[in-house]
Amino acid sequence: MKKIISIFAILFSFAFTSNSYSKTEIHWWYGNSGFLGDVIIEIANRFNESQDEYMVIPTGKGSYEDNMAATIAAFRAGDQPHYSQVYDAGAAIMVAQVKNGVVIGFEEMAEKYGIDVDADNYIPGIKNFYADADGKMVGVPFNSSTCLMYANMDILAEVGIEEVPRTYEEFEAIAQQIADAGYIPLLQSHSPWIWTENFFSRHNLLMTDGNNGYDAVPTKTLFADTPEFVMHWEKVKEWYEKGWYGYKGRAWGDNQAPFTNGEAAFWFGSAASFGGMKGVLPNFTTNPILYWDSVTGGKEYPTFIGGAANWILNGHTEEEYKGLAKFIEFMGSPEMDLYYHNMTGYAAVTKGGIELAETINFYRTSPYHKAVGDQLGLEGSTIPGGYRAGNWPQIREVIYENVEPMLNGDISVEKALGNMDNGAEKLLAQFAKTL
Amino acid sequence: MKKVQFKSSYSQYFFLAPQLLILLIFLYWPIIQTFRDAFTIQDAFGFGSYFAGFDNFKFIFSDPSYYTAFKFTIIYSFVITLITGSIGLLLAVQANSVLHGKNVYKTLLIWPYAIAPAVVGVMANYFFSERFGLLYHLFNNLWGFNWYQDVFDAYIYVVIAGSWKQISANFIFFLAGLQAIQKTVIEASIIDCKSNIRRFWTITFPLLMPTTFFLIIINITYSFFDTFGIIDTTTIGAPGSETKTLVYKAYIDGFKGLDLGSAGAQSIMMMLIVLVITIFQFRYIEGKIHYN
Repeated sequence: MKKIISIFAILFSFAFTSNSYSKTEIHWWYGNSGFLGDVIIEIANRFNESQDEYMVIPTGKGSYEDNMAATIAAFRAGDQPHYSQVYDAGAAIMVAQVKNGVVIGFEEMAEKYGIDVDADNYIPGIKNFYADADGKMVGVPFNSSTCLMYANMDILAEVGIEEVPRTYEEFEAIAQQIADAGYIPLLQSHSPWIWTENFFSRHNLLMTDGNNGYDAVPTKTLFADTPEFVMHWEKVKEWYEKGWYGYKGRAWGDNQAPFTNGEAAFWFGSAASFGGMKGVLPNFTTNPILYWDSVTGGKEYPTFIGGAANWILNGHTEEEYKGLAKFIEFMGSPEMDLYYHNMTGYAAVTKGGIELAETINFYRTSPYHKAVGDQLGLEGSTIPGGYRAGNWPQIREVIYENVEPMLNGDISVEKALGNMDNGAEKLLAQFAKTL
Repeated sequence: MKKVQFKSSYSQYFFLAPQLLILLIFLYWPIIQTFRDAFTIQDAFGFGSYFAGFDNFKFIFSDPSYYTAFKFTIIYSFVITLITGSIGLLLAVQANSVLHGKNVYKTLLIWPYAIAPAVVGVMANYFFSERFGLLYHLFNNLWGFNWYQDVFDAYIYVVIAGSWKQISANFIFFLAGLQAIQKTVIEASIIDCKSNIRRFWTITFPLLMPTTFFLIIINITYSFFDTFGIIDTTTIGAPGSETKTLVYKAYIDGFKGLDLGSAGAQSIMMMLIVLVITIFQFRYIEGKIHYN
């Protein structure tokens, strides 16, 4: 009996100590897990230790989709967090929520609570991706990646290839050599993101009408109407049949695993993917993603930002927003930006962070980190730096659904792209009804 | 049937109230909410909502992957019911006639029932992974199995993953059914007929009909609703949308796609399908079953 009482006494004392501080609590929900989730917790801890007025409480909700669904459900129940991480495909939905008073835009917040980080401190490409129609930044850029090409240098050396290809044409010239040596020449982990959305950005082509949704609400995607895109998938299918491209299902990890295990020469993944490869794969590099020389005439264009931003949600007290403003300021400092860039491989999102990286000669010691900034920093695009199309998570699903039968040979490339357009058109119309 | 009538008094409602309240909150209120979602169009956060009539239903019927999900769900529930029922019955008959170590067999065969579908899916993943999956490589050597691309192979994958655990459920109920059959009936039949197989089909199996009927309903409901976790941890609906069940599609559209209107309409369609199946079963099949 005594034991039980003392256990209760201990539990109670814990309960009281944790409540006895009256710090203002700020809730931050996120959709990263594993190592990336640990880094988020570390950021919050560092902020909490840096001052003692506010306390940021990070809560992981699973995947990006899970976190978005949880945030929405919480909002509907009147119990939303202050700050939530929402991914690229959800950006259109979040930007549209400013007018409904769900989301507070960054610039509005900065004005009201005097955040010392100007929207112009963020890299233009990243800033524009999360901005509204007037160019005002709404989401706060956070983990910004893009798709990159990983190359296994040992395989290339073994088959006698000296230079990592920069174009698909160069890849085609060496693919058979790699296949003959018993390796998979190419894998990629996300057909909608890498080979659809970023095919268009990489080649400076419009993906939807309404100027990618920046000028008008988009009504259709331009998949089958873009001959370059049709050509690309014809080629992919040809590679698949020749064994130059290996398709390992829809799961990101299943496509990455052969590369990590040294069975594939090239893999297209995210800029933040190399964490798990270090120490497993002895000799790999990160490179800009390939492009068709025949499409761009030798010119390279930047890809879209991937990853996620943090969004400020309405419905809390002024005191709490002041704390959140402090936290945003803290995260936007050059040191924290570079810390996050270094830990995860996501791009540095502030100009201050990039300057700091240059000052300390960061990329000489960490070559893996360089490609993402190089690729996102390319100039000369005439298309917007993103797309504003609603129901995009479902459109990605439609893309997936048609890629498999296309590679199978069940339907032709043209038919598959046509199906994608049809599916997307209906989903875009459905979204337009809610505006 | 005899009708028993009690004198009416209000106290009965008082005692019923807690149970009714639970039903109202956890059953009827969500159903009403689903109906509301199905007939409105709204954005993810619930704004811009307006009455849309049958627009959401038109939308799902214009979606080819809805028909695919429908087709798959029917095939899947039929195959799972057949496989789990027959293997469960076979194992139950065998375990019932075993003389030594009966309890060991029983316990081992019941165990998988305690495993959550999502965990079953993860385990199936190990068997069907291209990297280290035993079954993947066995089948791949036999006929070039590749569930990433081939629809039939993907069916095999999800059917094996989906039936394994459910075989246990069938086993338990069939075994209980077998043990409830009176010894005298079995003994009398042994005198009349020598053939084991014939005796099983003419005496034992008809006496198991109530159990079988019950299990058919349980298995269909299982493959409709409970296999969600299995699909989500195995094929995630691929290739194409060929292995999406109706429930999984509603989940994808509602929770990942954030389109509550479409998900609501799909839920109502599902309710109708289950209603039709249940009515059909109780009207046309149950009438042919003798419980005594």
